[in-house]
Amino acid sequence: MSMLLLSLKALLSHYWRYPWQALFLLVGLCAGVGLWSAVQVINSHARASYEQANQVLGTQAHFWIRAANGTGVSTQDYTALRRLGFREVYPVVQGIITTATNQRIPLIATDPIVLPAEVLQTNTSTVAFNDLAFIQPPYQAWFPPDLANELNLTANTRVLLKNGQTLPPAILQTQAQQGRQVLLDIAPALKALQRSTLSYLAVTPLSSERQTQLEQALPPHLRLIPNRQSLDLTQLTQSLHTQLTAMSLLSFAVGLFIVFNAVRFSLWYRRPTLRTLRLIGVSVQTLMLAIGLETVIWSIVGSSLGLLIGYGLSQILLPAMSASLQSLYGANIGSHIILQPTTVLLAWLLTLGGLIIALALPLWQQLRLPVLPSHSLSTYWLTDQRTRRYLLLAAIGLSILALVLYPLISTLIQGFILLGIVLLAGAWALPSLLALSLTLLERLLPKHSFQGRWLIRDGWAQLPALRTAMMALLLALTANLGVEALVGSFRTALSDWLEQRLSSDLYVQGSSSFDLATLRANPSTATWLKAVNERTQVTLRYQDQPLVLRGLDHSAPDTQELGITQALPQTINLWRNLDTQQNWVLANEQLHFLGSKQIGEKLELQTPQGLKPFTIAAFVHDYGNPYYQLYIPNRVLKTYWPQPEPWNISLWLNNPSDLPKAEQALLNAGAKAGDWTVQQTIKAASMKIFERTFAMTAAINSLTLWVAGIALLAALMAILQERLPEFAQWRALGVNTREQWLVMSVPLLLWASITWLVALPLGALLSWLLIHKLNVMAFGWSMPLLWSMRPAGVLALMTLGVIAITLVVVAWQLKRQLPQTLARLGGQL
Amino acid sequence: MLELIQLSKAYRQPDGYSTPILSNLNFQLGAGQSAALLGASGSGKSTLLHLIAGLDKPDAGHILIQQQSLTDLTESQLAQLRRTTISLIFQQFYLISTLSVADNIRFQAQLAKRYNAQWEAELIERLDLTSQLQKYPHQLSGGQQQRVAIARALLHKPALVLADEPTGNLDEHSSEQVMALLSELVKQAGSSLLMVTHSKVMAGYLDQQYWLKSGVLHSKESA
Repeated sequence: MSMLLLSLKALLSHYWRYPWQALFLLVGLCAGVGLWSAVQVINSHARASYEQANQVLGTQAHFWIRAANGTGVSTQDYTALRRLGFREVYPVVQGIITTATNQRIPLIATDPIVLPAEVLQTNTSTVAFNDLAFIQPPYQAWFPPDLANELNLTANTRVLLKNGQTLPPAILQTQAQQGRQVLLDIAPALKALQRSTLSYLAVTPLSSERQTQLEQALPPHLRLIPNRQSLDLTQLTQSLHTQLTAMSLLSFAVGLFIVFNAVRFSLWYRRPTLRTLRLIGVSVQTLMLAIGLETVIWSIVGSSLGLLIGYGLSQILLPAMSASLQSLYGANIGSHIILQPTTVLLAWLLTLGGLIIALALPLWQQLRLPVLPSHSLSTYWLTDQRTRRYLLLAAIGLSILALVLYPLISTLIQGFILLGIVLLAGAWALPSLLALSLTLLERLLPKHSFQGRWLIRDGWAQLPALRTAMMALLLALTANLGVEALVGSFRTALSDWLEQRLSSDLYVQGSSSFDLATLRANPSTATWLKAVNERTQVTLRYQDQPLVLRGLDHSAPDTQELGITQALPQTINLWRNLDTQQNWVLANEQLHFLGSKQIGEKLELQTPQGLKPFTIAAFVHDYGNPYYQLYIPNRVLKTYWPQPEPWNISLWLNNPSDLPKAEQALLNAGAKAGDWTVQQTIKAASMKIFERTFAMTAAINSLTLWVAGIALLAALMAILQERLPEFAQWRALGVNTREQWLVMSVPLLLWASITWLVALPLGALLSWLLIHKLNVMAFGWSMPLLWSMRPAGVLALMTLGVIAITLVVVAWQLKRQLPQTLARLGGQL
Repeated sequence: MLELIQLSKAYRQPDGYSTPILSNLNFQLGAGQSAALLGASGSGKSTLLHLIAGLDKPDAGHILIQQQSLTDLTESQLAQLRRTTISLIFQQFYLISTLSVADNIRFQAQLAKRYNAQWEAELIERLDLTSQLQKYPHQLSGGQQQRVAIARALLHKPALVLADEPTGNLDEHSSEQVMALLSELVKQAGSSLLMVTHSKVMAGYLDQQYWLKSGVLHSKESA
């Protein structure tokens, strides 16, 4: 056997004797790789889903044919176009149906018989899309399994709707990217929605000649609109995926701290082996090669196990992620996850890289030591001061770098790099702060207190081993506090926004038969109706992004209370005035932060009469909107876009007890059951969506804290293994259990408290950067930072809990191993 | 002072068999007396010392220290006994590396609340440690470290000092120096001393010598 293999065998044999070390090394690797790969798997899965989503019914169309007034396309118009030979055209119906139990389900429908070949080619389902049963009475309603599960639906059940209609028998299968929507044929879909018109017609690629022909063939009330939204989903969700990737990398960094500790200890324990190998003639180069081989073995084992854990975690986290994407962007992702080979390779490379980073310094320190025995671990603290000083200098350097970079940050990635620098600076400054706390404690203790002196001196000996674990804990606590503040601020911002936006009592949306004029004409309406806001919309493109022009009633109560963040004086008055010279608009903050628009700046918008200028009078807070949006009084909007799409109608009641009267009046004015929603229902649904949106963030957040807990446990276990003979000596000198625990746990509790205290300002800084810098860059809207001490208190308790668990495990180990170690005192331990 | 009655101890082997180390061993050591325990490697000398110190438990028999049986004591009572009545000196010194020489010397006396500054000054002077007090253990030579361990063991004037090969790590000259000091200071402290050693020369410093053979103690004459 070669010298290299012999050395490798000798090095690996260490882990048979100390399986705990092997376990903690693996735990570190698995924890880091597991969380990172779980997010990677979900991210790549989501991206693959967007790709598929872009190929589905109408979304992949190159053009859409829509009604100019937004009411929908009649089946007669569609049939006429088909009869004229436009085989590129196929119908799409979309809408929301409400079940008898008040569950709202998105619906999509088409006519599979007329689907062009290229649309069918994108269909990856194993089920034939043009199945005859799908298009013939009693038809079929295809439910994705997760949606069916949510509705407690079994095969062949017919869902009863609030409007009295019944869906065709349920089939629990998913057509290629129907997402979380029920898929129907056109005929049952129109019946379920009680509609007579199609949502739009989708058109496959056309030559310019064919496009001209189609435009000429269209009746005046229909428009051919190029579809430039196919990439929007990928673009819109990019920020969320980047954020999650950053969080998973943070978890990986915390895992790396565990690995660093484990590697350091494993090398330390093997110093006699390394020394012996060098004494018998193994060169430093061969030893490095052997350790390199060992690293590769660990990276393969660690990344494989980590990937397995990550895959399992991704299955658990997927519903939360799915909810986030659905509620933030309306994006649907499938429920079947596939591990991509690139993720596997990346996980291995990341693990190997992480191990090399963790190994480099301890290995260099170890191999430059003289062959002859040197100081023991207990005296290592004497030389630790220099390391702490270097770390502090590096932390100061990083802080200066962060200050220099802060004004220059312009992209989300750069923002996360800035966060990484801030976090690393905090972590590297921590050992010096821990040392300072011990010095201060030493000064506080009475000079003549022998036990106090012993405790302090022992604390110094524990510091080198515990500082890495404390740094991991600091990262986890800081990230936790930062994200908690972020989510708390989001929650308050949403709640305030809902209060303002959902101030009306009733909403009517998606009703093709409701007529507001009929409602108003009824003399009894005045007895209960306080105010109305009829909203309309026009969708345009601006800076290659969707831009929504929202027409509002300028006198409506919610319009009066729009949350204005920046404005010209007398904004609302300017905006209300029908000043065709200026065309004042209110813009959402997204246009300011993402579109770089300023107050008073003019926007050139495409109207049916050509490009027209509009001036920004104010920026409005617009929580969670992924699109640019402008607010224009309805009467101004109709000047330029005579037939805007109806959006929704808000109704304010004189008295909440007028609700039954109002609902009856709505029915009399043509609305159908399920067409309106009571305000409280929407608020509750919105808050529920919010909680689901942040479920993924919360899950990663708490997992990171547990990883840090494991880091602490691993460090303490390693210290215990190293110090067990020393504890036995103490016992031999008459030290009792209480004294031993006091010496062991006081520095630990002191440092955990200091770490928690440092995490408070660092967490506040992190949340400030997340909210005022990264959130604005990622989503384009701002909100006030709300700092609460409650999460900090909860984290303090959790940290104490982690330490308590750790101490219990250590106490159990000590109880088990100490008698044996005591009996071996004086012998070769 | 110390009495061992029918003391037995065996070690269980991985194959399930037990190897007897001590068999119905009887022994007595009076107050202020010193005895050396000689024997071949693996004869059970250190095991016997550990049993007397309460670091290990006998399979059968009794250990009485100042008429008190160790068998009935709890772990905390044993710790109390070790801190006040017994002192241990090991071949490896076992100094607390994070504490200075001065703190190491005071360690057990402070725990036992029997610190005596005058006796400490005398011990330090006799053991030639005056210039080493602010140093840390790793900055001392082996002989110096063992002298610190002796000072620590005697500062609280324990009733019984147990020494396990105290000169095993020292050269011949240092060994004789340390041994002479140890036997003299133990007498001055009024303690009893039981010492395990391989060396007949070191054993010669003490009042009595015993051989441990096949689990049984034999006096020098009968051995």
